[in-house]
Amino acid sequence: MVIMDKLQTSPLRLENVTKRFGAVTAVERVSLEIPRGAFTTLLGPSGCGKTTLLRIIAGFYEPDEGHIYLDDKPIDAVPTHLRGTAMVFQDYALWPHMTVYDNIAYGLRMNKTPQNEIDARVHETMQLVEMPADFLKRRPTELSGGQQQRVALARALIVRPRVLLLDEPLSNLDAKVRQRLRLEIRSLQRRIGITTIYVTHDQEEALSMSDVVVVMNQGRVVQVGKPEEIYRQPGNAFVAEFMGVSNVLRGKVTQDGETVDAGGIAIPHRGAPGSAVTVVFKADEAEPLADGARANDAVVVDGDVIEAFFFGAMYRHFVNVSGNTILVDRPTRIEAQRVRLAIPRDKILVFAET
Amino acid sequence: MRRISREPSVVITLVILVGLMLAFIIYPQVQVVLVPGLGGYVEFLAGQTWVKPFFNSLQVMLLSTTTAVILGFIYAYAMVYSKMPFKPFFRVIGVLPLLSPPFVVAASYILLFGPRGMISYYVFGQSPNILGLGGLWGVQTIAFFPFAYQLIADVLARSDARMEQAARNLGAGPWQVFRTITLPMARPGLLAAILTTAIYIVEDFGNPALIAGQFTVLPTQAYGLISGFGDVTGAAVVSTILLLLALALYIAKTRIEGQRSYVTISGRAGTIPRPPVPMIVNVFCFVACSFLAILILMVYGVLLISAIVEVFPVKWTLTFKHFEFLTSNITPLQNTLVYGTTAAIICALFAMLLGFLVQRREWRGKRIVDFIAIMPAAIPGIFFGIGYATAFNQRWLDWIDRGALITISMIFWNIPVGYQAALAGLQQIDRSLDDAATSLGAGSLRAFRDILFPLLDSALLTGFVTAFVRAVTTLSVVIFLFTPSTTVATIKIFQLVNDFMWGGATAFTVSVVGVAVLVLVIVWAISGRRVGLQRTG
Repeated sequence: MVIMDKLQTSPLRLENVTKRFGAVTAVERVSLEIPRGAFTTLLGPSGCGKTTLLRIIAGFYEPDEGHIYLDDKPIDAVPTHLRGTAMVFQDYALWPHMTVYDNIAYGLRMNKTPQNEIDARVHETMQLVEMPADFLKRRPTELSGGQQQRVALARALIVRPRVLLLDEPLSNLDAKVRQRLRLEIRSLQRRIGITTIYVTHDQEEALSMSDVVVVMNQGRVVQVGKPEEIYRQPGNAFVAEFMGVSNVLRGKVTQDGETVDAGGIAIPHRGAPGSAVTVVFKADEAEPLADGARANDAVVVDGDVIEAFFFGAMYRHFVNVSGNTILVDRPTRIEAQRVRLAIPRDKILVFAET
Repeated sequence: MRRISREPSVVITLVILVGLMLAFIIYPQVQVVLVPGLGGYVEFLAGQTWVKPFFNSLQVMLLSTTTAVILGFIYAYAMVYSKMPFKPFFRVIGVLPLLSPPFVVAASYILLFGPRGMISYYVFGQSPNILGLGGLWGVQTIAFFPFAYQLIADVLARSDARMEQAARNLGAGPWQVFRTITLPMARPGLLAAILTTAIYIVEDFGNPALIAGQFTVLPTQAYGLISGFGDVTGAAVVSTILLLLALALYIAKTRIEGQRSYVTISGRAGTIPRPPVPMIVNVFCFVACSFLAILILMVYGVLLISAIVEVFPVKWTLTFKHFEFLTSNITPLQNTLVYGTTAAIICALFAMLLGFLVQRREWRGKRIVDFIAIMPAAIPGIFFGIGYATAFNQRWLDWIDRGALITISMIFWNIPVGYQAALAGLQQIDRSLDDAATSLGAGSLRAFRDILFPLLDSALLTGFVTAFVRAVTTLSVVIFLFTPSTTVATIKIFQLVNDFMWGGATAFTVSVVGVAVLVLVIVWAISGRRVGLQRTG
């Protein structure tokens, strides 16, 4: 359970929220403070509970245990449609029988906003999401995926929700459209300053868009922090392995308590003799050493290059080191068949197995 | 899943819906079961008068279901798999019998093959006694094979062409594919179709009443006990026996449907066409379907001709006097139209709202209510009718208008149909669509009205059409509920046939079928042909 330091009242607070579906615990004792005006991302593999947690916040599910507070008031008893938590869905969920205008205006109509004000705000919001006004008379089925998502965004923003919830909104879009929309959503959010919770399984999205990343696994919050922290200072083996492309080796601390033997590779590390550990280092941290070159504060190993794949910005090599297959990402291809690799000691993370 | 406890308006709506269902589905049925009292049951069962009709029912069920299903299967296979010509024509012919009261087949049969039948007497000079098991078997086969056809065609159409293509690809011939792939994969659905047909046959009242003679079956025994002896207790016991029989079939059916069914969930099975069917099979299908189509046309042709000639089959002068008779006795037809339309509209809306609350929300007792909504599908029409008659004939409920009562019986007897249409429609609409409305401030009922209701239009129309057709063609549900001023067309036809007034009876039949066709066509036109007939049961 990790609680962030707060300097001011947080608008949204979760305390020990638990949700079960039959025998499966989807969300377990989650406590979080969502900072005001920040872009917070729930990140994790599928089934980790991030979407369930988002839906609990929205009110679509009731937690079996725990409480939710909005502006320090409990909202557990508040019905979904009165919570002020507008949501943007993965499949856009635009209503096909209504025009774009009516889709966007819907929330304001629920609030009984006068018609002329609705009109003004619809046009204003269309500009905000950079859509031309003549799209207003079209139907959602006439729009491309990216355009639909902008409309979905507009529909949620226009009601000025207390918290904006986004459920993997970009998963259904092409890579290029996704990248562009990421930037737009982020700059939009910064401009308006709205408290936003974003759910994704895509690390790139999480790292590039967020102020705060909440990593989840199997229903629990595993680490909370800034993107750089999550990436460079993972708190445990799971986060270390999940972020980036990582090599994971199981090992044991040797009898002298000074070294870890991971699959035949020796790594200096102090620990209880005989205890089990997990060793993690990223694929792009291993550097090939030229013959005769030295490396300081690094673990040096020899291996055979089995296979190499070209990924555009880099080559990914599969290297056999003492019977372990190590991934090595380099900008240029390793031509030799036998290679000596140096991995900086401070980039190798050793976690005690729990 | 969303709880409704935080939305009072939803809770109230639910209470009203459930309350109505308890009053108009549970209460009447419980009445029937309770009326005899334990002593009454013991006495009647000991009297053993029910034993022969019970076994007769079983016998005719086995016979008629077998033949109806075989013919229905051939027709369905021909429509779905073969490449025979004139399929649209065969499709229309196949739907026609669903639009008329099933017992008109018996009437037609008598006109053709009866003691003064056109073919038996005037062609062959015979005066056969056609009453009895033989006649009933033949009539029910013809009356119900179109129902079997619809059910089976549904199952076959949903089979995955890719499975069959894969088998052909590996060297299996057409017969092998049929035997090892098509049939086994369709088996759960086929068994369900067979059981549903059996339920229709076992609860059939009109055909046995007209043509079974001394071969009494349970529905006719129940009717006879009330109309002949005023023995409500006995009729209730017999109806309960019939109910148990129907329930056994129904439970068997739901358990089979619960098994893994190997059909695709979506309507289409990819864009791969089915493997071709051998030419000889196409020819056979065409011949078989033509034969069956001729049978159906004969049945309805006879009725039509009888309605427009002086005396069928003797005096062939064209006349409108039977229709004049109709216009001077227009009340039953009016009643049918009014009750049927009202019932169908209310039923479709009621079922839609209920379907929404069951499918999209979470609340205690949901599964029980879901069961109650489907229950009338297992209840024989006559049981339902007796239930209403006994439950609402009591002094303290005497003030309920009989016409309204008939309409109400039609509404609640057809709830399963509208309900299943609603559920099927709702499954097609992603939850995120109404969740989006909720996250923007719309309560459950508002979200239903703004988002789901407009998108469910084809499900609504399907429910309406099916409920309307069933309401308009049922005899067994209403046979105990009518008064002279609230008679409906099916009862009138039944009475006229019983009095051998063929001209009037057939004129009424033609009108009822005409009205049903008209409504179907209108709805088809409005909906842009997106409507079908909901499979019942």
